[in-house]
Amino acid sequence: MAEYFTARGLPVPRELERNILTDWRRLGAIAAVLLVLFVGLRITSIDTSRANPEYAGSVLVQLLQWDFTIMSPQNEFETFWETAGGQMIVTIFLGIIATAFSIVVALPLSFLGARNIMTGNPITAAIYAVARVVFTIVRSIDVLIVVILAVIIFGLGNAAGVFGLAFHNIGVLGKLYSEAIEGIDPGPGEAITATGANRFQVIWTAVLPQIVNPFISFTIYRLDANVRLAPIIGLVGGGGIGVLLFHTMNLLNYRQAGLIIFMIILTVAVMDFISAQIRRRLI
Amino acid sequence: MAPILRIEHLVKVYPTGTRALDDVSLDVERGEFVVLIGLSGSGKSTLLRCINRLVEPTSGRILLDGTDMARARGSELRRMRRRIGMIFQQFNLVRRSSVFANVLAGRLGSRPLWRTVAMRPTTEDVALAFENLGRVGIVGKAYSRADALSGGQQQRVGIARALMQRPDLMLADEPVASLDPATSHSVMKYLEEINRKDGITVLCSLHFLSLARRYGTRVIALKDGRVAFDGKPVDIDEVRFKEIYGEDAVEVEIGVGPTADERAAAESADATAAAMRAHLETLDTH
Repeated sequence: MAEYFTARGLPVPRELERNILTDWRRLGAIAAVLLVLFVGLRITSIDTSRANPEYAGSVLVQLLQWDFTIMSPQNEFETFWETAGGQMIVTIFLGIIATAFSIVVALPLSFLGARNIMTGNPITAAIYAVARVVFTIVRSIDVLIVVILAVIIFGLGNAAGVFGLAFHNIGVLGKLYSEAIEGIDPGPGEAITATGANRFQVIWTAVLPQIVNPFISFTIYRLDANVRLAPIIGLVGGGGIGVLLFHTMNLLNYRQAGLIIFMIILTVAVMDFISAQIRRRLI
Repeated sequence: MAPILRIEHLVKVYPTGTRALDDVSLDVERGEFVVLIGLSGSGKSTLLRCINRLVEPTSGRILLDGTDMARARGSELRRMRRRIGMIFQQFNLVRRSSVFANVLAGRLGSRPLWRTVAMRPTTEDVALAFENLGRVGIVGKAYSRADALSGGQQQRVGIARALMQRPDLMLADEPVASLDPATSHSVMKYLEEINRKDGITVLCSLHFLSLARRYGTRVIALKDGRVAFDGKPVDIDEVRFKEIYGEDAVEVEIGVGPTADERAAAESADATAAAMRAHLETLDTH
């Protein structure tokens, strides 16, 4: 094949030069992956010998035999809001409130984290760098870890949960918003600057109209994610229906747990559908 | 009377080390229609953007009516920018906003912040916006989204926006480079009209010498960031042309209808195809 090129005095295309069997970079990459998997299997010592399919099967059956008593108050002190249905609604709102808090913080900060807004002088450039680092650090601490820490401050319950969700979400939304701002067309801003408008007027007139749709789209995406996460944070003390699920599982009350799991799946699916519909219409 | 714009020893060196403007000095008199020509990268855009400080000059003075624009800061700079309108090759409209909102934006610098935020323009500004839309013949499109308009219409919105400033000087950075020949002439005619009727001084960069000859009262050519020619359009002869554009350049006409440059483009496409065929044939014969 390569002779075709050499005979005509043409350089041989790189793709044809390589021989798959002797390409040491390719072989090296394959060997590295195999090594990682081998080491991983050895040190994790995955042991499936204690699995009990019979017991698992009976639990699975119980998970599907839903016990609806948790849908109504258990004693005279409980109200609707302590029932599984009430807690599911509370959980959805935990996600909504957490998202709202994080928008309020992330929205102004995102402008500080947008390169095209902050370049120009060394002070703003430094603020930009700090904002981006803060977003990255905040984002890299997982929701569950923040909730565990927040429980120390707020105690068990909804406050810790909302704080954990909101904290992590500030990092994510801050980054998404900042990148939406960086993606705008700089031309209109340049034109408005040329008319003698100040920086705020430029942002208001030329930047905002360009970022409204991406902002709404990202916000709904994160709202969806937070409502999805909200049932989980209860497992580490963050309140909501997760607490109820945790209790029923500890009491081996799989009929009640099954119903709760189904409610969570249903909620997430509905949320996912609505969010996708709205986002599709925005783009 | 002092020139409306005097540029003295203007130098712009970009952080990359590119010397875009190398000691440029020139005067622009009131009422002139100055056309800037030169190859891509000769510094036309940088010069225009230095005048209203969209690009920070490295050194030199830019005197607008005797006041040094290059030294102005903050609110003084914004006040001076208001006297200079600008239109752009890519129109630079806020695409999602209405034509009306875009035109009104030209007036932002003269109005307090709360009017921007509350979207409450003064009655006077609204009237002025419609007057300017009328002048460029697109009142009927006032409520359309800016990106629903054709290129030529968008550039006219750009002109109307600049007119909102009631400028003394109009900068135009390749205003017709994204437009077809027929539309180019219609846009240039609006620039000519504001120059003749309103007495607004125009400084406009163009690619085509034929447009420069047709509309300019004076032509300034830049080459490698220096002024290579400054004089009347008719004085650019074959020799001057080659000095400005290089030995291999051939002048093309831009007219209404199927133009010389369109024919040239078609011919060059044919020539490319022929060259490719010839090359393939030589490969086969080997």
